[in-house]
Parts: sequence; structure tokens; C-alpha cells
Amino acid sequence: MSERRLMLLHYVTGLGILVTGAVHLWVVFFTVPLDQTIWETTMLFDGHQFAIMSVYRNALLASTLWLLLVFTTFHAMNGIRVILMELIPNERVMRVAKWALIALGVFLVVYGTRTILIAYNIR
Amino acid sequence: MLVPVRYSVERWSYTLQRVTGVVVTLYFVLHVIETGNFVGGPTVWYVPPYEFAKAYYEEVKEFLHNPIFDVGLVVIGWMVAFHAINGIRLTLAHFGITLGRPSRVEPDSPPKSFSTLQRAIFWSSIALAVFAAVYSLNALMGVFAR
Repeated sequence: MSERRLMLLHYVTGLGILVTGAVHLWVVFFTVPLDQTIWETTMLFDGHQFAIMSVYRNALLASTLWLLLVFTTFHAMNGIRVILMELIPNERVMRVAKWALIALGVFLVVYGTRTILIAYNIR
Repeated sequence: MLVPVRYSVERWSYTLQRVTGVVVTLYFVLHVIETGNFVGGPTVWYVPPYEFAKAYYEEVKEFLHNPIFDVGLVVIGWMVAFHAINGIRLTLAHFGITLGRPSRVEPDSPPKSFSTLQRAIFWSSIALAVFAAVYSLNALMGVFAR
């Protein structure tokens, strides 16, 4: 993919993260009463005031979370690529880095998708 | 290139944007791995019984719930907020917004790329990041609302 298109995607995913990340933080932090810590209220499973599991069970919130996973993975991997390119402008290094970053990105998306899908189905 | 000492505020913003990006990426990788424990750890690739996943995560929670990780998350809160707001500034600048009309460059004139509006967004990103850190300090450790 051309540099121009990669950077455009970098900005687009950045804006995407602003939206989906806001939803993510909202459901984790801002629904918590201010006089309690997240450890007391926002724990994972039923029996707590607010169980994060209920986020995963909602198809819309689970999809938002998945979008956040994909956006952040691309944004982070491309960000590292840009930083490396500026610091070490060497073609061989960049070729290795490219495949290492693609591998890490695929791992993150696969593993994260697994977590979201299984959590969606746990009853 | 990454050391901003002796340069303008813009260079500080450049370095901070990259440092926070790398640190938040490290956190993101760990966060994806850590949240994998919600469903019973890395070996689970099927839908496990509810009680199994719950017991597994309670153990992980014991490990995660300590002041060192809490302070680490507060720093991450600062970094994410800074990176986000400063990122909006960079996105606007990339598409030419907030940069003003093109004009002749005079000697010693301040760089166009860091106009008054740009500077304002940079400093508000620092301020909002401090607010985010204070908020997460309270949400994680209950420092203020007790």
C-alpha cells in the first residue's frame, strides 16, 4: 500500500479510535459511581454492581469493541512503522519490521477476536 | 532527533506523541493478552463453562489489583488523553486546517505549523491529559471521593 494511503488510513483509524474508544471508556469508567473504585464496582462477572461481561453480551457493544481492536491494531502497527522509518531509514530493517508488525497485528486481531467471540457466547 | 531539549515546543509535541504512542502500544498488546483471561486464558478456544472462566479471572484479578499496576494505568490514562488530543491537532494540520494562509517566511518568524490555534490545542491536550490522570487515579484508587 502506498505511503499516502497508509497515512490516510492512520488518520481515519485515529478518528475511529476516538469514537469507539470513547464508548469503551464510557462503559468501563463513567458508569461507575464516583465514590467507589473500579475494582469495587466494575468487575467482570455477575454478582458485582456492573459486570463487564454484560458489555460483551450486547451485540452492538461487542461489535464496537471489535472495531476498536481492529482500528487500534492498525494504528499502532503503522505508528511503530513510521517511528522506525524515521529513526532507522534502512530498507532491510524496514522489510523485516514490516513482516514482524504484520505478524504482531494478525496475532492481536485473532486473539482479541477470540476473546470477544467467546465472551459473547459465555452463559 | 527524538531529544527535544534546545528546540521549540513543537519538537516536544513531536517527541511526546511518539513516546506516548509506543508506550500505549505496549499497553495495548498487554491489554489484549490480559483481557484474554476473561474467558479462561490463552488455551481456551471454545466456549468454556461460566464458572470456569469466572474462577480463572478471579485469580488473575488478585494479581492485577495492586498499587503498582494502578499507578501504571494512571500514566497510561495521561498518555492516551494526550495522544488523542494532540493527534487531533496533527490530523487538522495534515489536511491544512488551522495553518492559516500561506505567506512569505521571514527570518526568525515562528513556524506556520505551530500557529496560535495549534499551540492552544497542544496545551489543552496537556491539560486534558492531567485531568484524565486525576480521573483515573480516583477511579482506580479512590483517592478523592472518600
